[in-house]
Amino acid sequence: MADRLTFDSVDCGDVLPEVKQENTQELTWKHAVASLDYNPVHTHPEWCKTAQVFGLPVPVMHGNQTMSLMCKVITDWAYPVGGRMKRIEIKLIKPVPVGSTCTYGGAVTEKHPLGKGEDFVTVEVWAKNQDGEQVGIGTAQVRLPK
Amino acid sequence: MGYLEEMAKYQKTEKQKSFSADFLEAEQVEDYEFWDEIEIGKETEVPIKFEVKAEDMIAYAEGVPDNSPLFYDEEYAKKCGHDGLVAHPLFGTQVAFYVLRKGHGSWLRTPGARNPGQVIEWYDPIRVGDVLTIKQKGYDKWIKRGKYYMRYLQETYDQNGTLKGRAYGTLILPRTREDVLKFVKGEHALEA
Amino acid sequence: MDYLEEMAKYQKTEKEKEFGSDFLKTQEVEDYEFWDEIEIGKETETEVPIKFEVKAEDMMAYAEGVPDDNPLFYDEEYAKKCGHDGLVAHPLFGTQVLFFVLRKGHGSWLRTPGSRNPGQVMEWYDPIRVGDVLSLKQRGYDKWIKRGKYYMRYLAEVYDQNGTLKCRLFTTLILPKTRADVLRFVKGEHALEA
Repeated sequence: MADRLTFDSVDCGDVLPEVKQENTQELTWKHAVASLDYNPVHTHPEWCKTAQVFGLPVPVMHGNQTMSLMCKVITDWAYPVGGRMKRIEIKLIKPVPVGSTCTYGGAVTEKHPLGKGEDFVTVEVWAKNQDGEQVGIGTAQVRLPK
Repeated sequence: MGYLEEMAKYQKTEKQKSFSADFLEAEQVEDYEFWDEIEIGKETEVPIKFEVKAEDMIAYAEGVPDNSPLFYDEEYAKKCGHDGLVAHPLFGTQVAFYVLRKGHGSWLRTPGARNPGQVIEWYDPIRVGDVLTIKQKGYDKWIKRGKYYMRYLQETYDQNGTLKGRAYGTLILPRTREDVLKFVKGEHALEA
Repeated sequence: MDYLEEMAKYQKTEKEKEFGSDFLKTQEVEDYEFWDEIEIGKETETEVPIKFEVKAEDMMAYAEGVPDDNPLFYDEEYAKKCGHDGLVAHPLFGTQVLFFVLRKGHGSWLRTPGSRNPGQVMEWYDPIRVGDVLSLKQRGYDKWIKRGKYYMRYLAEVYDQNGTLKCRLFTTLILPKTRADVLRFVKGEHALEA
């Protein structure tokens, strides 16, 4: 399916393959190194016990890591055919404590046939924790080849 | 082993190794801009540039973690219709943290900051060899349900002046220097 | 008395009287731009040739039609006492301006029989004042299909005679897709879904 994905082949309602990722403190540390976001709320378990930025005594995943994994749903789907991100708007609904396992997914909701190489689709993306609670929702605009 | 040493194990790229991972040094907080001081409408060009190497892009994808070969294998990326190695969509996070170390724009590294969600627009792919510059301005600040929010508009340009991406970054911040210093000491100081 | 005559009773201002209130004339539909033809992008920006010279009666007539009897919209002295620099235009007064100047071609979407209003975004930059001569620039901003309906969004900017930006409207509409669909609506048939 992936190699035949085009703007024309997509329909509203198409569901994108989900991504599942278990998170650990080690992975959060790795993400801090990758993003250079060393904020102690993600990296420093001792500090989190008292600072409780989110009211939790434990580190939480980087919001941008959650967003990165929501993007993975799009890049896994569209980038192998030359697709491109155009815009994303994400709301992070609740903190994700380190140690959570989240699932990320999306579905096509809109088609924008603008022509001139500007065609794009809108994908509603979401992230859920292991209890099925939404931790992030968003809307991504994705350019797809004709 | 302390948390800084734990992370030091994963620092591979030149930039990762040169960047200071300790966000709790009271001294550097002195150079921050605090919520109650933020000027809205002021635009600044951040003096530090980011020269993009393949290792930087690859390191970000590894830290997602995302093992799609698009982010590691230039030939594969070209076969898929891209013009070179692909930067993960949120690679700009690394760029922003790398260049925004103090003053106007340091908000994102403030101890106690929270990320309530973001808006990002992509205009042109980031490529290996690009030299990136960030322009940014305070866009809005507000109090909602007793919390102090701010939004900044950040634009990334390459060495040719091409707009690469635009991010409306939103943060919940401690209100004052004093509140940030409480967080530095591990005390909670977010609500009004 | 038919519906057009019913409404004619309330037409008071010069512009209200002059304006053609029958949106179902097949002939004028011929000059519209239909969803499947709409071009999107910066290069589609056009300045609408008709200008809108703002009279106090126009502003008052809009407020009356809301209806909103706040004296801010009728009493210049009262408005000044409240800290405004003259008679206040109701925030949505731009609606009258748009319908007055957008009669055909690129921009006629808002008067298309069968169009629906799913909600709007407006930004205000400078007050509209009596004596302003308003012109409208606009361009197709986006169009899309969602849940089987045809949406479009255009960006309309209102400027005064000094080139000051008064307001910006990101106007979103659900439209019939084609000329044929609009002509069905003109005849009173439903033709909105794909």
